Amino acid sequence: MKKDSMKAVLVLMLMVCLVGSLFAAGAKESAPAKEVVTLEWWTWDSEEYNEASQRAMVKEFEASHPNIKINMTLLPTKGFETKMTTALGAGVGGPDVAFFSVANWYPKALVLDEYIKRDKFDIGMYYKGFWDTKTQFNGKTIGLPLGVGASIVMYNKDLFDAAGVAYPTNDWTTDEYLEIAKKVANPAKKVWGAEILTRPFRAIWFNHGENARLYSPDSTKVDGYLNSPESLAAYEWFYDLMRSGVTPTVSDMATLSTENTGPIDLFMANRLAMATLNQGHMLNAVKAGKNFGVVREPGVGDNPRHVNAWSLLVGIWEGSKHPEEAWTFLKWYVGPEGQKFLMDNANLFPSIDSVAKQYKDADKDYVKGFLEVLNDTQVAIWRGAHPSGTKVEASITDLWDKIKLGLITKDQIKGELNALVPKAQAVLDEAKKTLLY
Amino acid sequence: MKTETTFEAMKRAHRRRQITTSVVTHSFMILLSVIFLLPIFWMFSTAIKSRWDIFLWPPVLFPEVPQWVNFRDVFTRVPMFRFIGNTFYLIVLKTIGELLAVPLIAYGFARLKFPGKGIFFMLVISTMMIPLQTKLIPLYSMYVKAGMIDTYWPLVLPAFSGTPFFIFLLIQYMKTMPRDLDDAAKIDGVGTFGILYRILLPLCIPALTIIVTYTFLWTWNEFLQPLIYLNSYEKFTIQMGLEMFKGIWSVEWNLLMAATLSTMTPVLVMYFFAQKHLIGGIASVGMKG
Amino acid sequence: MVTKQVKRSKAAVKEALCGYLSISPWVLGFIVLTFIPILSTIYYSFTRWTMMDKPVWIGLENYIHMFTKEPLFYQSVKATALYVLMSLPVILIFGVLLSLLLNMKIKGMNFYRTLFYIPAVISGVSIAMLWTWLLQPDVGIVNSVLSFFGIQGPKWFWDPKWALPSVASMSLWKVGGSAVIYLAGLQNIPPQLYEAARIDGAGKLRIFFKITIPLLTPTLFFQLIIQMIEAFKVFTEAYVITKGGPLKATYFYLLYFYEEGFQHFNTGYASALILVLVVIIMAMTMFVNYTSKRWVYYEGEDKAR
Repeated sequence: MKKDSMKAVLVLMLMVCLVGSLFAAGAKESAPAKEVVTLEWWTWDSEEYNEASQRAMVKEFEASHPNIKINMTLLPTKGFETKMTTALGAGVGGPDVAFFSVANWYPKALVLDEYIKRDKFDIGMYYKGFWDTKTQFNGKTIGLPLGVGASIVMYNKDLFDAAGVAYPTNDWTTDEYLEIAKKVANPAKKVWGAEILTRPFRAIWFNHGENARLYSPDSTKVDGYLNSPESLAAYEWFYDLMRSGVTPTVSDMATLSTENTGPIDLFMANRLAMATLNQGHMLNAVKAGKNFGVVREPGVGDNPRHVNAWSLLVGIWEGSKHPEEAWTFLKWYVGPEGQKFLMDNANLFPSIDSVAKQYKDADKDYVKGFLEVLNDTQVAIWRGAHPSGTKVEASITDLWDKIKLGLITKDQIKGELNALVPKAQAVLDEAKKTLLY
Repeated sequence: MKTETTFEAMKRAHRRRQITTSVVTHSFMILLSVIFLLPIFWMFSTAIKSRWDIFLWPPVLFPEVPQWVNFRDVFTRVPMFRFIGNTFYLIVLKTIGELLAVPLIAYGFARLKFPGKGIFFMLVISTMMIPLQTKLIPLYSMYVKAGMIDTYWPLVLPAFSGTPFFIFLLIQYMKTMPRDLDDAAKIDGVGTFGILYRILLPLCIPALTIIVTYTFLWTWNEFLQPLIYLNSYEKFTIQMGLEMFKGIWSVEWNLLMAATLSTMTPVLVMYFFAQKHLIGGIASVGMKG
Repeated sequence: MVTKQVKRSKAAVKEALCGYLSISPWVLGFIVLTFIPILSTIYYSFTRWTMMDKPVWIGLENYIHMFTKEPLFYQSVKATALYVLMSLPVILIFGVLLSLLLNMKIKGMNFYRTLFYIPAVISGVSIAMLWTWLLQPDVGIVNSVLSFFGIQGPKWFWDPKWALPSVASMSLWKVGGSAVIYLAGLQNIPPQLYEAARIDGAGKLRIFFKITIPLLTPTLFFQLIIQMIEAFKVFTEAYVITKGGPLKATYFYLLYFYEEGFQHFNTGYASALILVLVVIIMAMTMFVNYTSKRWVYYEGEDKAR
């Protein structure tokens, strides 16, 4: 009897020892070496800068900065957000340098103004639009903008030629967009003219007018914006698009959007004549040898034309134990040296004008088209100043669903919009309680 | 003589019935299998296509030029072998932990009386109700402070405290075993824990096999916790490797499907062989002589 | 007499100590890995917290908002409840039937069992993507087969009426995984009982209802609790495929929680949501546990202690 109780106790003790030793082993974290500082850098890979090129860039940096070592943590895109949110939320164990791609993370980014001033870092080298819209939070600088991205309409020249339709130009309108889509589509062969927008806020929306936004620029009022005539016009245009019969089915789009990657698969399979994609997709198309052209999103009448463009914000975690070294890495990485490296060895479109001018494939059509789109128009910022715009957007998805699934008629849209205004306003008021800005 | 013929006739009839049952069952199983495996055919079909041919119309079941190289690319684009090895390492550690902890815990609930048992049991069950996402931040904070980030400890430790699912499973299993066994052992002078290790546990092999199988399976499919706790690329596990095929702008469906199929196979093989312990022979429970 | 009582109580104390000893690994883990995190969740549920700044105490405001001002809460409860009601009975019945089939001693069953286990092996996200292709209204296999028979298949995930059943059917596909557990339970039924029944002339159906099912009740109880808890936690299908739509038909509770917590960073409120869910599931589980005394039969408990 005693023997077997002993056995159980022994098993328990074994487990306690195991568990204890694990804790002890873990806690035996030695202090960082005085000489070499190791930085944690969290990143992902993409068509513009893959794993290999980033690792090579790290080597290059370490060669010229022998006292800094970079630990590059390569994460899948979706995982990146979850991991960052967890670390930033926990307040410990965050990276030294990382993308601050989610607006809600901004409060946790280190303010850089002092460093910029002290080192006389030339922020004028960046495209002004991005500097103003992407790097500022509550009037302070919280990161540097890496690269340039933009939504552009890519069109399949082969499909256009087959249908005998002229290529679109940068000053085309939303009506022409619809017309072209109808002409180029071939539903019998499941070749579609244009894709379904996944959300009602892209450059096309703003091209309908400044008031076509979800709520006022100061994030207080929904009435007069969501239900403005411009907004109504945009929704009705979308309605026409959905009823035109030349878009892929809702289920097609849902399948392809399971990972929020957009209609690139259909486009590359020559089943979508026009698609609003971005430079990453463009690079894939180039790699696959597609015969395509690039043009900006269509406009409306004489309204100013917008482009949805962005730059990735790279920042330093405010809890970093090595802010000085992190800043050294940051200004090299997102400065001319790093961006030039990634431009030459990968496919980054730099956010620094002087570097961009040295783009290796500058003479290629798609590059010219892309840069032309960028230069010509204003950067659209539709979330307003409030990151909780996502919540307000979410409150109006039912209308979007109804239009997509054909559950209402065109003249019902106005009523729906008006009915949604108080609902969206309530959500906005509630969301502002968690205001970050 | 007459008896023999009748007997032989009976045997023949019996065999005929056996064959009919077999044929009927087999055809039904095949039909069911085809339905069940439809998605797998689709996965396979996608896995052997080149990247941009997946969404062609009309859809092609078997491409003209099957890209078998996709299966190789899965292992070269991403250090999949390394990830598989890492995952196996985790599985072994976790299985040891579970097999040490769960029988002990389940025995307490199934066989021993102690005040508050009901409440503790409800607590065990309630642990299963809490989604992982809620615990992420406090756990992360804790592990950072313990210096365990970028190690496998956060992934392995919970196994040493027993997964509630397994505890519950083994409790149920033990409860079906007659107490006569315990009583007889007591009379023979076997101690409380001796009953567990010498009498009950050997009879719980099927349940233990389930524990091993499920630990294997769940560790294999685990994504969220390795993502949060690991930083070094070379320490990543299989699911993290699979996620790498989902790029920021597009998904490499063909590689993803090839990778999923490849990583599925060891689990299935393992399960195939584990069945011997699950379904093997006639479980002789009890001493009803 | 007194000596006997003393002996019994001494034995009881010893048994209790052994009991605590044996569950101690779990208790330790529970305190560190579950209890403490839950305490912080409870705390945060009374605050407004975006994870990126200091939590602000607001008392019961989150709960009041949830129960009185938030239609999304009720929509998600409804979607989840409907899903549980739709899927749970079917999963259980189908699981038992399938395992009976797989239990037959026919050559090659090993192979079939492994085959049906495959869905359990594929991660939830891959399954969701596969089913999106399968149930594609135009080109998916299911509707293609249906059109072969002249039936116009519904839009499945993209029809507000069919979205929920479509999601429920996905869980059916994974049933092969839990067949394992039923099989183990079936193994535990002493074959002598079957023999005795057959000798007594009982028909197959009678044997099934009088022997198999009653002796399978411990396993059924286990599966009921497990599957019920899992059903309440349905998430991946909505997250990957339907995004809660169309028109909130599949707007499950955990999806609502995820959006509030991880997309809108409304973490205090999300903590409150989780606690409410845990309480609901706990209540359901306790109810099932309570009724289990009526219908679950443990052979080992036959001789009441």
